[in-house]
Amino acid sequence: MSTPLALGVIAGAILSGTSLLYATLGETIVERAGIVNLGLEGILLIGASTGFAVTAASGSAYLGVAAAAAAGGIANLIFGWLVVMRRANQLASGLAMMFFGIGVSALVGRPFVGAVISGLPKWRPPWLAALAWVKSTTLFNYDFLIWIAVPVAVLVWWLLFETRWGLGVRAVGESSAAAFASGRNPAVVQFQALFAGGLLGGLAGAHLSLSLTLTWAEGMTAGRGFIAIALVIFSKWHPLRAIAGALVFGGAEALQLQLQARGADISPFLLDMLPYVLTILVLLAWGGSRRHAAPAGLGRTFYGTE
Amino acid sequence: MRKILGRMSFVLILVVFMIVVPGFEANAQQLVIGAIYVGSVNDYGYNRSFHDALTEVQKTLPGVKLLEAENVPESAEAERVMEGMIQQGAKLIFPTSFGHQEPAFNVAKRHPDVYFYHAGGWMMSANFGNYFGNTQTAWYPMGVAAGKMTKSNKLGFVIGIPIGFAVGNVNAFELGARSVNPKAQTIVVVTGGWSDKAKEAAAANALLDQGCDVVAMHVDSPATVIQTAEARGAMSIGFQSVEARALAPKGWITGLGFTWAPFFTDVAKSVIAGTFKAQSVHWGLGPGGMVAIAPFGPAVPPDVRKLVTASADQVAKDFNPFTGPIVDNTGTVQIKAGESWGGDKMGDFKWYVEGVVGKVQ
Repeated sequence: MSTPLALGVIAGAILSGTSLLYATLGETIVERAGIVNLGLEGILLIGASTGFAVTAASGSAYLGVAAAAAAGGIANLIFGWLVVMRRANQLASGLAMMFFGIGVSALVGRPFVGAVISGLPKWRPPWLAALAWVKSTTLFNYDFLIWIAVPVAVLVWWLLFETRWGLGVRAVGESSAAAFASGRNPAVVQFQALFAGGLLGGLAGAHLSLSLTLTWAEGMTAGRGFIAIALVIFSKWHPLRAIAGALVFGGAEALQLQLQARGADISPFLLDMLPYVLTILVLLAWGGSRRHAAPAGLGRTFYGTE
Repeated sequence: MRKILGRMSFVLILVVFMIVVPGFEANAQQLVIGAIYVGSVNDYGYNRSFHDALTEVQKTLPGVKLLEAENVPESAEAERVMEGMIQQGAKLIFPTSFGHQEPAFNVAKRHPDVYFYHAGGWMMSANFGNYFGNTQTAWYPMGVAAGKMTKSNKLGFVIGIPIGFAVGNVNAFELGARSVNPKAQTIVVVTGGWSDKAKEAAAANALLDQGCDVVAMHVDSPATVIQTAEARGAMSIGFQSVEARALAPKGWITGLGFTWAPFFTDVAKSVIAGTFKAQSVHWGLGPGGMVAIAPFGPAVPPDVRKLVTASADQVAKDFNPFTGPIVDNTGTVQIKAGESWGGDKMGDFKWYVEGVVGKVQ
């Protein structure tokens, strides 16, 4: 039985959108604290390879997920040391961290290439499994990272917008000097944000290697870290809009593959451009408007007040 | 640092051998073979096929020493790796990735006394030959297997980039499937890269959503597509390395793998004997060939096994699936009656045969 196009696209959007969502949420926290981390791609790779290596070695995918999150957090702390403590240029350091991530992940993952893992266990509510239109798709047959993805987005929103901690993060992102004057230590806040962002980036990588593909290959994220950075702009630095963004982008990829599988008379190369065309359109539509602007202190280095 | 350590330990071993076993060196070590891979040899795919073959050569020819380098980029770095191997005494080098061709050719020019055989290219000189397996015709028996096993009559095929060779693989697959099952369709999904794992998973899911119950693939490593199919209870046909069957204990039908060992052994022997000749070698299925059929999975009944094996024997003997009349999927006759496409035309496919759902450009 073949699945209707819409169902197939939604199912595909959820599968490939999950890692995009985690990565976007992580980058959103970091950017809200005034730091651009162009090294997100490297964080995803480190998460993917560490998670896969630990899973293959220990046999437990949950241990792999934990290790991936920890590795992502630690990698972001190294980035924090560069840009917060050493006050290095964020864009240059971010790109350097990306290459660092490519190298480290290759090193960590190399002995485990070709290892066979069973991956994260999947669970589908039995009452849903009884429905025929559900059974023929991947819908609702999800590992825990997919099930908790939206709750995590809500949690990040709550942390950023409803707690004192989030207020501090956003204050530092708008103006480190003002936050400093109000008694906050911008460096501490930024390190906290970076660690939290790194944890989520690590989860994003882990979902790719431990659930979606069950393999590790060098550079397997194939630019998803950069798509997530674009998604942060797409969602206007808002965790809840990031859910929609991740679904749209995951859906764009799914749509082009689903259309091909339906024999749509469109060039595969043209379809392949879809997610990127969408990014450009969004940047065009929202560029230059005050309402959609980035945190005011984004990318600025705080040298203290003297 | 690792390179230095590697060289140090090699020299050390050499010294030990020369002291401990006088004369051993000259007799036992007849030939040092170097091989460079673009990825890891544990990929259940392309790179593994070369590693397995060279390990077999070592078993057949005692006294062959093997120097291997994984993850060698397709750049000037490859030249440095090969130069290092030559310094360690390599007399025969196998650059195995398409993009290693030019770096290897440059090194070959500098070292006329070292012999090279490059996989998948076209460049040649006195000490530089090329070879590749004829996979296209070998996909025909895979189609026979898939056409017999499918219940939905929809077969899925994930390909990285629709180059002529990949399109030819799909075409032979569909021709084989239709020879036993006139209703069989092959649906093609292109991911746009040879190693974009997440997209390969999504592509396989799209095909399964569409009702395909057998998937095949032409990407660097078949692992993701096979495991995605296995998780959803579908069957799979592997490619690149026959070892991929370990990934699908239930749904594995069969697969194609490269078997370079017979050719590599011949070449190694010719270097030892001093009779090396650079050629352009293209072998397909059959004993001593470059392509072999993997063992069948448990789900394949005996009559299907017999049919597939018979079809493979025919292809190995003299049967060419690309014999006209062959019509493409828009209805245009592409190979006229009485004509046939041989090994030199396998990169020229710009169209899918009738029964394939997909578009090349």
